[in-house]
Amino acid sequence: MRRSTVPNEPGLADFLDPEQLSKILRYWLSPRLIWALLIGVVALWLLSGFYMVGPGERGLVLTFGRLTGQSESGLHYRLPAPIQSNVVVDTARVRTAEVGYITEAGNQNVVLAEAQMLTGDENMVVVQLFIQYLVQDPVAYVFYVKDAEAVLKASAEIALRSAVGQNTIDFTMTEGRVQAQEQVKTLLQMLLDQYRTGLLVTEARLLAVDPPSDVRDAFDDVVRAFEDRERLVKEAEGYAEQVVPAARGEAAQMVLEAEAYREQRLIRAEGDAARFLTLLAEYQKAPEVMRERLYLESIERVLSGADIFILDTGSGGVLPFLPLTAVTPPAEPVIVPTEPAPAP
Amino acid sequence: MKKLIVVGILAVVVLAAFQSVYIVGEGQQGLAFQFGDPVRVVRDPGLYFKAPFIHDIVLLEKRVLGTEPQSAEYLTLDKKRLLVDHVSRWQITDPLLFYRTMRNETGAMARLDQIIAGRLREEIASHNFIDIVREKREAIVATVTVGAQEAAGSFGISLLDVRIRRIDLPTDVQESVFARMQAERDRIAKRYRAEGEEQALEIRAAAEKEREIILATAYAQSQVLRGEGDAQAALVTANAFGQDLEFYGLVRRLQVYETILGEGSTIILPPDSDLLRYLESPVLVPPADVEAVTAGD
Repeated sequence: MRRSTVPNEPGLADFLDPEQLSKILRYWLSPRLIWALLIGVVALWLLSGFYMVGPGERGLVLTFGRLTGQSESGLHYRLPAPIQSNVVVDTARVRTAEVGYITEAGNQNVVLAEAQMLTGDENMVVVQLFIQYLVQDPVAYVFYVKDAEAVLKASAEIALRSAVGQNTIDFTMTEGRVQAQEQVKTLLQMLLDQYRTGLLVTEARLLAVDPPSDVRDAFDDVVRAFEDRERLVKEAEGYAEQVVPAARGEAAQMVLEAEAYREQRLIRAEGDAARFLTLLAEYQKAPEVMRERLYLESIERVLSGADIFILDTGSGGVLPFLPLTAVTPPAEPVIVPTEPAPAP
Repeated sequence: MKKLIVVGILAVVVLAAFQSVYIVGEGQQGLAFQFGDPVRVVRDPGLYFKAPFIHDIVLLEKRVLGTEPQSAEYLTLDKKRLLVDHVSRWQITDPLLFYRTMRNETGAMARLDQIIAGRLREEIASHNFIDIVREKREAIVATVTVGAQEAAGSFGISLLDVRIRRIDLPTDVQESVFARMQAERDRIAKRYRAEGEEQALEIRAAAEKEREIILATAYAQSQVLRGEGDAQAALVTANAFGQDLEFYGLVRRLQVYETILGEGSTIILPPDSDLLRYLESPVLVPPADVEAVTAGD
């Protein structure tokens, strides 16, 4: 056990010794020290009136509980408690609230009880709403509503379910999404103003509007069916775009062929006519000679390849003998009236 | 000893001083009681004096308060079960009346929820399910608010409003809703696919129609052109051949003989034909026609 003779360093054990205890008490109760302590305490008390208001914050000063002033950012002084007190509210920070999900370590976990709701056509939908807001009126925020954040969360849910409940599931999931968002924002701000929360909603965004997981496959199939429809139409359009030009080409070909036929018919006819006229001119110079020559030349060509039998058909009494089985069938004769004949 | 008395008196004075003042903060309101009897109602914040040791102070909330009870099951007019939870916002506007009837917030919340739930049950029972979900939500809560406000007033409470937060279906009913949604989606999917086929068929048929029209028009045009060709050719040749029809007949006939009487034709000639008139003797005999027989049958 240590026994100290220095009074201002009393050990724990000293208090057990009555002699030492009275020494210590006498030392502590010396008037100078009491005054020094008293002044120190008062000074500390007065100093406790300093407070900081950070950038974007607002300080509210209360005198005996009553709001008597506000202060901007900086170092300020108020009278110490219990005469004056202060509350500092951040009015610049954008705060966020989540409905239907909770962000944990960067993951969004869906809270089904909050997120799943009825639509106006008795369907169910899973919605996630993200809200940004800030404190616009710090006085109302602190003193007019108890737990303004909880009020905001509840009001957001009310507004969301009201908006979703008024519309059909297809509308909310597709083209009505932005409109539903606006509806939520408007209704939420209306409620917050009605309760005088002093909060201003800067953004209300529908993060997800999904069908419940039980029926997700059916919804996906609708999307696929929609794509199928588009595909079928596109394929048909492709077919049309192939068929019509092909038909136009064929038509052009047909017309051009007909034009070609017309031209060749005319040109050939002119040729035939010219040939005949030339021949006619010669014929008119010496008709008898020409007739005879043409006839004989022609007959010569005709009969040179033929099997010829010479019979006296006029006498009648004798039956002519013909080896008909030996006669070979000739090639099928083709008669084209304007086909040019071999030159005479 | 004297010192001790001074210190004692000083302590009592300080204690009495602290006992004779009280602070009502912003968002608070106070009641002063003298042995249980209310003597003062303080609505505004600030520093107030009271008789020390005799008066008791009760501080109450002046801010807007809320209740958020658990959801309860309600029955609609068309006998559907619904899980509804409501939210109400209220303020203590008559602290004395509130204190006498409710004592504290917890008791008040329970009582208020009971009143609102009763009103809500009545209202929901007189509306159809789909109306409650869709259009009538506002009207229902408005009626409930008005009805409950009256009752709340007798507790010194001003009810700002009642809102329906969640309307949900009981879990066993959800299954049938999912089944219906599934059927509905299947229907839409089928419709899309059928529409796709419909449109595709229409587009294809239209294309084929256009093709047929194009081809038919071209055929008609080509027939006209071919006719023109034939007509012009006929005109040109007719003009030429008409100059000596007899000579034309000769030339053409000779051409025809050459065409139809080809290689291998069997021709029977009488010995007195014009061609053979010099075959037997060089004396002139009157000519006869050439008779041609095409062999085959």
